[in-house]
Amino acid sequence: MKVKMISRNPDNYVRETKLQQHKMPRNYDPSLHPLEGPREYVRALNATKLDRVFAKPFVCNLSGHRDGVSCFGKHPKLLSTLATGAYDGEVRIWDLANRVSARSFVAHNGFVRGIAYAKDGERIFTVGDDKTIKVWNSQAPEVGEEEEPVNTILSRYGLHGISHNRKDNSFATCGEVCAIWDEQHNDPLKTLKWGVDTLHTISYNPVETNVLACCASDRSIILYDQREAQPLRKVVLTMKSNKLAWNPMEAFNFTVANEDCNLYTFDTRKLQTPLKVHFDHVSAVTDVDYAPTGKEFVSASYDKTIRIYHAHQSHSRDIYHTKRMQHVVCCAWSLDNRYIFSGSDEMNVRMWKSNASEKLGIIRPRERTNFNYQEALKEKYAAHPQIKRIARHRQVPRHVLNAQRKMRAGKEKDQVKEANVRKHSKPGKVPYVSEKKKHVLKEEV
Amino acid sequence: MSDDEEHYNPKAHKKLLTAIGSLGSVQHIQKSTRDERQTRQDEFQLVKSVRAAALEHKPRAVGLNDLVQILRTSSKHAQTGKKLKNIQSTKKVLEKPLEKPAADRIRRTIGYEGVTKKLGRWDAVVAQQRSAETQIFPIPSETIYVNTAAHAKPLKTSIQSDLAKELEASKQKLHELRKAQIGDTSDEKVLAQQERDLLQKKLTRDELFARRKELAYLKMRESQKSAKARMQNKIKSKKFHKLQKRQKMLEQMKEFELLKKTNPEAALEKLNAMEKIRVQERASLRHKNTGTWAKNLQVRAKYDKDVRKDLAEQLAVSRQLTQKQQESDSETELNIKPAAHEEEEKDYDPFNPWTKQKVAGKAPTQKAASEDPNWRKYWTERNQNTKLLEEHRNDLEDVKPAEGSDVEEELRSEPKQKPSKKKVKKPKVSFQNGWEVEEVDPETNVRGESKIDDIFEAHEEKMRAKLTKRLASLQQRTDRLKAAPAKSKKVKKKKDSLKNLKDLAIKKTKQRVEIDEPLNHDDEPQQQVDAAILESAPEAKVDSAMDTIDLANVATLVWTQKKRSSGALNDALVNDDEAEYDEEDAAAEHQLTISQAFEDDDIIADFNRDKTKDSELKNTELQLAMPGWGSWAGAGISHEVMERRNKRLLLKLAAPEKRRDDNKDNLFINETSTKQARQHMVSSVPFPFRSLADYEASIRAPIGRNFVPETAFRMLTRPAVITRKGQVIEPMDESELVKPDRRLRHIVDKRIKRLPKVPPRAQKA
Repeated sequence: MKVKMISRNPDNYVRETKLQQHKMPRNYDPSLHPLEGPREYVRALNATKLDRVFAKPFVCNLSGHRDGVSCFGKHPKLLSTLATGAYDGEVRIWDLANRVSARSFVAHNGFVRGIAYAKDGERIFTVGDDKTIKVWNSQAPEVGEEEEPVNTILSRYGLHGISHNRKDNSFATCGEVCAIWDEQHNDPLKTLKWGVDTLHTISYNPVETNVLACCASDRSIILYDQREAQPLRKVVLTMKSNKLAWNPMEAFNFTVANEDCNLYTFDTRKLQTPLKVHFDHVSAVTDVDYAPTGKEFVSASYDKTIRIYHAHQSHSRDIYHTKRMQHVVCCAWSLDNRYIFSGSDEMNVRMWKSNASEKLGIIRPRERTNFNYQEALKEKYAAHPQIKRIARHRQVPRHVLNAQRKMRAGKEKDQVKEANVRKHSKPGKVPYVSEKKKHVLKEEV
Repeated sequence: MSDDEEHYNPKAHKKLLTAIGSLGSVQHIQKSTRDERQTRQDEFQLVKSVRAAALEHKPRAVGLNDLVQILRTSSKHAQTGKKLKNIQSTKKVLEKPLEKPAADRIRRTIGYEGVTKKLGRWDAVVAQQRSAETQIFPIPSETIYVNTAAHAKPLKTSIQSDLAKELEASKQKLHELRKAQIGDTSDEKVLAQQERDLLQKKLTRDELFARRKELAYLKMRESQKSAKARMQNKIKSKKFHKLQKRQKMLEQMKEFELLKKTNPEAALEKLNAMEKIRVQERASLRHKNTGTWAKNLQVRAKYDKDVRKDLAEQLAVSRQLTQKQQESDSETELNIKPAAHEEEEKDYDPFNPWTKQKVAGKAPTQKAASEDPNWRKYWTERNQNTKLLEEHRNDLEDVKPAEGSDVEEELRSEPKQKPSKKKVKKPKVSFQNGWEVEEVDPETNVRGESKIDDIFEAHEEKMRAKLTKRLASLQQRTDRLKAAPAKSKKVKKKKDSLKNLKDLAIKKTKQRVEIDEPLNHDDEPQQQVDAAILESAPEAKVDSAMDTIDLANVATLVWTQKKRSSGALNDALVNDDEAEYDEEDAAAEHQLTISQAFEDDDIIADFNRDKTKDSELKNTELQLAMPGWGSWAGAGISHEVMERRNKRLLLKLAAPEKRRDDNKDNLFINETSTKQARQHMVSSVPFPFRSLADYEASIRAPIGRNFVPETAFRMLTRPAVITRKGQVIEPMDESELVKPDRRLRHIVDKRIKRLPKVPPRAQKA
């Protein structure tokens, strides 16, 4: 009997030296791959489906607070540390890697209104309803020692927020006035005041560190320069802005979370119209925080969800919610661009993945290339209807769905009415106003 | 009472009065001393000033008037006194300051402008970041680390040993040579100056730490490398060295290929060097199986098959090394004809294949040229190329001035005839190896060339016509542009504060689909919304050539078929930049050609016929009755009954659905294409894309490993944002403003950088 065997010349597949690439018997002639397009389409479809299958963004729940969580403070150097303040005046420092509360102390009588780390992360500044600024060591006290603030500053004015300069030793508080402080002094270097309204949030620009912005209860956003004796400019929106976040990569852009369910991204140099209006929330937006890459931001809302937006797109790319999460008060994006934290009314701090279907843990190079390929495919075929449908489908709570329907109905009604008014009035009398311009009332000099 | 009056002591009285007077001036509350810097005084700490009362008793302060009085007394200073008086009398009263709100407003405006300007600095960085294909976070810092510490050891150049100096000199020479080879022209001195400048700069503490780390790393690398080299030198394996040598050879070949393109001179030298190595190896006794190793093996060869194989291999190598030379040697021995030598050299023609071969064969005889046969070949080739290029360039130049057609014609004809003349002279019979070699008839050659010339000429003509047309259109456009600002100047006065950023924005080379739609939560209402969007959305800007196409039919997954079915149409889509400048002409021309082409057949009638044929239903009625089923056979069967029965079993199908293109005369919508496929098709051009052609181009090219080479695959699938686990991403730093272009470390980045930056449309054209 004759045994037939395949015999190949090893020269065709064995590399000559160790440093050469492995030879792959592969022919890239496009005429040999007549179905390359459909094959890639199917791959893209499968990748999209898998992406949705693996989309499990919830990482863990950090419980320990005995009242609703009111504010976050991100450590500027350590990724595994997060400080949270609660309505009962308690501050907790979390060890995120081990998912435990590393330290807790009662800092204030009443709410903790704001937490800020110093620029090197050595000190923690907290402000509360008791009109005090307290400075804490970020190192936990020795065993047996009591938790005591390093310094306590009694302020003349009520305090609603705090923000620390990224490069200086100065920090700023807001309340009745905007005050600029130095870490070494117990009196403010400067107080800036424009109008009589309460300022409820303050934020330093992380890039141009002399610029800062406040949101006031008269629905306005005020810009300051810490070197100037006067505020710079004020822009008044139709409703109150709850929080403000600067883009860490684009010095002139900031986003505000507004009471009217929208977020507005502004360019500091052109405040008459926002660059972008970000829709999709169905209730007041309570907090906003930028990703450290400056490409995206996360927003928390009273409608019990958090949403993630591309900084230059008006609709959210993702929505996170769980059954037990109540009104979300604050949110933060971790400094390695991987995680999102949300603190809500029901005393819990939750940790989410910023990319819902991302694989945690070690990713081998081959796996990495495969993920990259899948991402590229998804991006390439993003406009195809089936892929778009699967990629953008989200299950949301019933109340959100209902609220959305209601909002849509209201909007449609308004549009119809406007069209009717336009139809029955002199041409040109009822002008077309773009969505962007509707929400800014005036810019004050 | 008089006693009392007498007792009145004015001194005591006065004392009493002053004591009473000074009662109020005693300060019980101390004036606050400030231990903190603060801008505002607290009102509770303000103390009533006591000075007002005390002032009356104090001597008056010296005023300007007093000075003047004194000066007047002396004649020496009278003049100065007058001047002072004048100044005092003519002093102006300052204007009342602005009211506080107005002043504040001005201050705020100035402050805001300052901040705006400061923020404007980031425009370029932000624009660059936005347009970047891949962004890496944390933003990699590009710091040049130089040891500037006071205690750093300076280089002891003076106490360098002679050997070190010599080494350095040789190294320098080598470096220069290498530079010349690569064709590097960067100036050393400038670089040195830059380095010195850097040295003078002070470094921060962090930078110093980083530099120290870097240095340590470099040192470690160096030691590792030297250790590796030492180890490698000690390796005794023959195979290893063989492989290494082969590797080196390959590398050299690669280098040569590269140099051939960039620096032909250097390439030549390299070639010679390589040839020399070959010659040396050939001359040596290697691979001849005469060494001890071979002799030892020969003993074993009888019994060992592997050994035999090795030896044979060795011999084969030697044969290979010497083979080429032997060939040429034999040729020369046979060929040499010293008498004919000079003659042949005279009528050497690079275009003549026969003479060329002869020269190639003859070369090795000469001692000087014996080492570089390739060299000669290379040179002749190169000369030829340059000659051709020169001719071509001349032709072009002659064409360019191109106004008086007659003169130009003459000019052009001249250089073309020259080479042909030369060729006519050439034919010559020469003897080689006893063969009579005759030139091929040049006439045919010339004719062929002239034909080619004609083609070229025609092509050039065409090109020139096109160019002039484009120039004219450009001129028109510039005229229009020039005219425009005069009008718009008055209208547009408002400054756009984001103009700089917009201007700086670079168009991305690789466009990505952006989907800015709400997430769909339930299917049903979403579709409505989609429909609404589709209806309301303004039509995508489509070129004039394609506004009749149903987008749904073109932007699909079936590319190749579409390409074939509408070739002309696709062509029109592809080179739409051409269409830009002579749209109308082209359209008219196109119309003309089509009508000319189909002069004798009525396409419209054909089209309508096709359409009706396609739309009519094939089988409207189906007869379900089968002959012989359910009926008696034989005589006496009434036909009526049969027919009734048949009628009963006749299945009538529903009336055909109305066609979608029923009332559109010149439109044909193919309804036979499957509906399942349709739901996978894109119905409109997605957002950042402007034209269907662009979008289709982005979809058409595959990116998978199976279809494109590995490197291309890596480049195509590089993510837009790369972050590292466990690293804090710091916000943008000020150093980014003055940073030069990042040196690319990743190989894929380098490749992407090297790609020609041509927009996809231009590539196709």
